[in-house]
Amino acid sequence: MTIVVNTPSRPLLPIVVRGCGLAVASLLLLFYLLAPVAWLASSSLQTGREIVSVPPHWIPDHPTLRNFKAIFSAIPGLGASEAPAPDGTNSGGFIPSTAGNLLPAMLNSLIVASIVVLLNLIVGVPAAYAIAKIRFRGRNLALYTVLATRVIPDIALVVPFFLVVRKLGLLDSLTSLIVTYLAITVPFSVFVLASTFEQLPDDLDRAARVDGCSRSQVLLRIFLPLARPALVAVGLFAFLASWNEFLLALMFTQTAASQTLPIIVAAFTSDFTVSFSFLNAAGVLAVLPPAILAVVFERYIVSGLTAGAVKG
Amino acid sequence: MAAAVSGRYRLPHEERAALGLLAPLALVLMAVTLFPILYSLWISFYGLNLRRPNRMPFVGFDNYLSVLTNPQFLESVGRTAIFSVISVIAVSILALLAALLLNQEFPGRRILSACLLIPWAIPSVVNGLMWKWIYDANYGALNGALLQLGFIDAAMVWLGDANKTLGLIANAFVWKEVPLASVLLLVNLKAIPADLYAAARVDGAPAWRRFLHVTLPALRPGFMLVAVYEAMMAVRHFDLFFLLTEGGPGGASDVVAWRIYVETFRNLSFGTGAAMSYILAVATLLMSYGLIRALAQRV
Repeated sequence: MTIVVNTPSRPLLPIVVRGCGLAVASLLLLFYLLAPVAWLASSSLQTGREIVSVPPHWIPDHPTLRNFKAIFSAIPGLGASEAPAPDGTNSGGFIPSTAGNLLPAMLNSLIVASIVVLLNLIVGVPAAYAIAKIRFRGRNLALYTVLATRVIPDIALVVPFFLVVRKLGLLDSLTSLIVTYLAITVPFSVFVLASTFEQLPDDLDRAARVDGCSRSQVLLRIFLPLARPALVAVGLFAFLASWNEFLLALMFTQTAASQTLPIIVAAFTSDFTVSFSFLNAAGVLAVLPPAILAVVFERYIVSGLTAGAVKG
Repeated sequence: MAAAVSGRYRLPHEERAALGLLAPLALVLMAVTLFPILYSLWISFYGLNLRRPNRMPFVGFDNYLSVLTNPQFLESVGRTAIFSVISVIAVSILALLAALLLNQEFPGRRILSACLLIPWAIPSVVNGLMWKWIYDANYGALNGALLQLGFIDAAMVWLGDANKTLGLIANAFVWKEVPLASVLLLVNLKAIPADLYAAARVDGAPAWRRFLHVTLPALRPGFMLVAVYEAMMAVRHFDLFFLLTEGGPGGASDVVAWRIYVETFRNLSFGTGAAMSYILAVATLLMSYGLIRALAQRV
């Protein structure tokens, strides 16, 4: 903006107007994006009694970590102790007996998401390299097919998935989640990685091959280090998708042994006896990891999301 | 030179190498996508109901006929269309505004673009819980804010009002989809050649005309991408309907994805559920044919 100030043809007024316009627009956008999440966080710090005040307390009068304490002190499987609230009342401050399932569910989500990330790279990297750098017949068809599998709505796969998973005896196991999540995340990983490899010069590939490198050496020693941002992006997408997935987990999981975080949070949500103050605390725990990842790795994510779009 | 080398790349040896590298992916997709979708087609021709799992008569196209003549299903198609159209239009407009803003250089822009991704990243279940709480008829933030600002005199029923439900769910859906759409449009904005604007400026076109005659036409590919992708996502959306209303009130938010879920897992009628799923899958595939082609040509 200082550069603009230096040009003599521009009077000061439009610059001030532009600055104010940008500030107002930025604040509006920021409010739109963050207000719902801020309200979630604020509610999670209120007691069951404060949360039902009319009008709402936008900022809690007496912020309390009571809900979070209940979640972290609950014994998994046994449920939290249903002691009355510290203020001596029990008005809507009820902590559900299943509160203890939350931390194990978080662990399940973490395990599933981490393995899915790993498998995405193991399966996706070689395939993307082949599509980007080997001129084989059917190369386009391969890419079309991979992309087309993501067009099929998950809900359309749910019926056959359920029957197969049931027949294999994999209902209520993390394996069923890992395998299906791999299938729904890997097409996009291949697309992002193939676009990235495609942008690396073919000569790199050729020169290394002439020097006697095998294909796997070329891939591991030359392409992977150069594609690190894309690898980070692909890993993040797979992680977030697995951490957030709901529909398939709803079908395949039945007990705390395999239930992931979204399932437990959804179960609280549909339970009318659970106070929204506790519910929001559970929501905050589910939001924190993905939100932090998104903010920290914003650049990687954006470049990954738009992979290939630049060339278009 | 490229042509001379490409001759060597076409050796069968190269194809074998490609096959080996693609094998794990092919295996995963065949086992976990191709097989299920074919299995689903097969089921859709049988009268499979888990209430009587041992009888599975072949019924031909009966499932499809009964689904396509079922008024409940047809109405859910209509609702899905309304939900999708509202969502796609709202996402496109809001994402355009956000992208235009983020395309400017100003202090704080980096923080803004980092925050932009938060709605995109959070689980849809929490998105549902969050809006359910905001829309709450008794203690919700929406009623609270509107009352405090004086826009309404008494607390209103939101999700429980059949006329508002679809729009309110669309609002929650849009909130989560705007970030991705903004990112896609922003890339498109940044790729518009600066000399197009310079030329328009030389011609004396004011800012709004430059926007109308340079920016908007150049954003066509971005809008196409956003519209098709968001339509695909909206048509299949399930999570918010499950969390916010379970198809209610009185079927006001009974969309196709919800109908498939009810048919399959509550009525346990897997045959008709599979037929519905297949209709949805083919419809989305047709809708996105152009998108896949455009994306594939970029690699």
